Amino acid sequence: MSTSHSEHHDGSSDATPGGYKNHRRPGELIFGGFLFVASLVLLYSAYGISGFDALSAPGTVPMATTLVMAITALIIVIRTVRLPLVTSERISVDILPGVVVLFGVLLVAYGFLLRPLGFLPTSALFLIIAIKFLTRRSWAYTLVVSLGSLFAIWLIFRIVFTVLMPAGVVPEAEIIQLFRDFARVGAE
Amino acid sequence: MMEALIAFLTVFTQPELLLLVGLGTFAGVYVGAIPGLSVTMAVSILISFTFAWDVYPAISLMIGIYMGGVYGGSRTAILLNIPGAPSAIATALDGYPMAKRGEAGTAIGVTTVMSFLGGFLGIGVLALAAPMVSDFALKFQPRDYMLLAILGILLVGSLSSGSLLKGIFAGALGIAVGAVGRDPLTFTKRFTFDLQIMEGGISFIAVMIGMFGVSEALLQLHHVGQPAIRQKISRIVPSLATVKKHLPLSLQTSSIGVIIGALPGTGGDIAALMAYDHAKRVTKDPEREFGDGAMEGLVAPETANNAAVGGAFIPMMTLGIPGDAVTAIMIGALFIHGLNPGPMLMIDKPDMFWFIVGALVMANIFMLIFGLTGIKLFTKIVEMPRAVLIPLIMLLSIVGAYAVNNSINDVYWMLGFGFFGYFMRHYGYPLGPVILGVILSRLLDENWRRAIISEREDLGRFFEGIVTSPLSLVLFIAVILIFVSQTPLWGWAKARVLGEQKVAPK
Repeated sequence: MSTSHSEHHDGSSDATPGGYKNHRRPGELIFGGFLFVASLVLLYSAYGISGFDALSAPGTVPMATTLVMAITALIIVIRTVRLPLVTSERISVDILPGVVVLFGVLLVAYGFLLRPLGFLPTSALFLIIAIKFLTRRSWAYTLVVSLGSLFAIWLIFRIVFTVLMPAGVVPEAEIIQLFRDFARVGAE
Repeated sequence: MMEALIAFLTVFTQPELLLLVGLGTFAGVYVGAIPGLSVTMAVSILISFTFAWDVYPAISLMIGIYMGGVYGGSRTAILLNIPGAPSAIATALDGYPMAKRGEAGTAIGVTTVMSFLGGFLGIGVLALAAPMVSDFALKFQPRDYMLLAILGILLVGSLSSGSLLKGIFAGALGIAVGAVGRDPLTFTKRFTFDLQIMEGGISFIAVMIGMFGVSEALLQLHHVGQPAIRQKISRIVPSLATVKKHLPLSLQTSSIGVIIGALPGTGGDIAALMAYDHAKRVTKDPEREFGDGAMEGLVAPETANNAAVGGAFIPMMTLGIPGDAVTAIMIGALFIHGLNPGPMLMIDKPDMFWFIVGALVMANIFMLIFGLTGIKLFTKIVEMPRAVLIPLIMLLSIVGAYAVNNSINDVYWMLGFGFFGYFMRHYGYPLGPVILGVILSRLLDENWRRAIISEREDLGRFFEGIVTSPLSLVLFIAVILIFVSQTPLWGWAKARVLGEQKVAPK
């Protein structure tokens, strides 16, 4: 397996976090700035919990941690500013390529559709679109793989673990009951 | 003594219990391994299944899942770089590079044998030293818990080869995330921004699945064109020489596992990370660098996290304080069955204790069997093309996040942390400290407040307490040392003391 240029720097493991030691990646400064601003907002929010009431007040640990966040984020930003930009990388290729944006949209859409449409249709749609797009194989392959694996997942979660996913438009409970009735008739 | 032996042998003599332990262990290995399915979740669902059962069968099944699950988490850590459980975070660091080189079979084989070894030692210590350890744990002050939590979070920062600053930021972020919602002591709202959905807090399982499931899947999209990693699975059972070679280290890391497991609240996750850290320090010239597929980096966390299982039962059985999240749920299960874990249970019903020890031994043996035989079936998962695997991991992540509380908000949190984690990975922020911070947030907060209240809100008295208690002092110095050892000050001090001209870059 080839280790591509980007694989070294996208942080697939905590032992080798992404980024470069002596360069800054595109967007790194924006991210650092965002973290600093977010830390300040959280620090203000933590101050609002109980202020400087007492050392044992509910807001003390939140204030301490958000202060640590703000300080470390600020130092990180200052250090990042000083670093030269990596010239060989572009944000639209190495950080946020189109396929990642597409899957981000797909995942959020999944979240929105899960309740109204139900687990089975939403998952089927998601898997069919995702697998068709990524494999670029025939529709037959896409349908067999996505619906087959969805059925396996559904069996494990619904039947073995009895996790109730939103049924939505599919009358899941009725279908299972129908099978149970069949099984009972068969057993008798 | 005779009664203890009979109670210990209960599980071996009753086929039904034996079957349940076996079934539990088998399920545990796969539950632990499937991303988005956690042992904690499985065991808590099992409570609702089994509360009508007798106590022995119920406990048998749970112990099997627990033991198998702690081990199973290493599978996905090695094969997919997604720790199936927090206790496998450290396993991924060296297991995944090994899988990338096509040595997944070897990695899994060593992991299995070492998990068995660690598990066995943990159970041994549980059986022999439970009363002694309970005496020791009784001496822990709230400030010691707090220091231990800080130590745990700092250790992840020191694990990372990247910037310690980013590690500290990540840890602090985790603690803040863990504080969201109603404060458990005073019911004050914290970081809720006056939104009702925030009051219940953020499920740490959602954070974990997001950070390690979705963000990894998004990252893998960069490499979707590359062929799937073909696993060489010829050498599964490790050679005796390999086991022998790592025996000294595995004994050390098992001890770490038992001790950390026995500390209330701290389970296999901290044990595994501490053991990894230990191995990194004591291993002189490893065949491969740590983080690049060092065998020692697998041996250490895997012996420790399974040793911690036995350890975690020590405070649970002797004090009624859970050693980790799973034993916390088991305490709930014992309550349902009318048993009250604590010092009195050990005196009134010693057979319960010995039964649990027996069931753990059996689960450990089953784990070894399933671990060494089921690999062919399991490695098939990674032989699936990434183009199919990535959408499935995403789907499993969503189902897993939803299933914890049947809440769609957890799905959004999970996705949010998934996207956030994706950028953190790109810019060199470690994710481990975030998870550790979230898990330890409450422990740290509560114990800080207990400690400072008992010192009448006086910081001076607080530090006086630390300095005058040997235990607190040791923990405090450890925290300071780990912190200092990561700063330029350490190199400077070392150079001054040893008179070295140049300090090797870290």
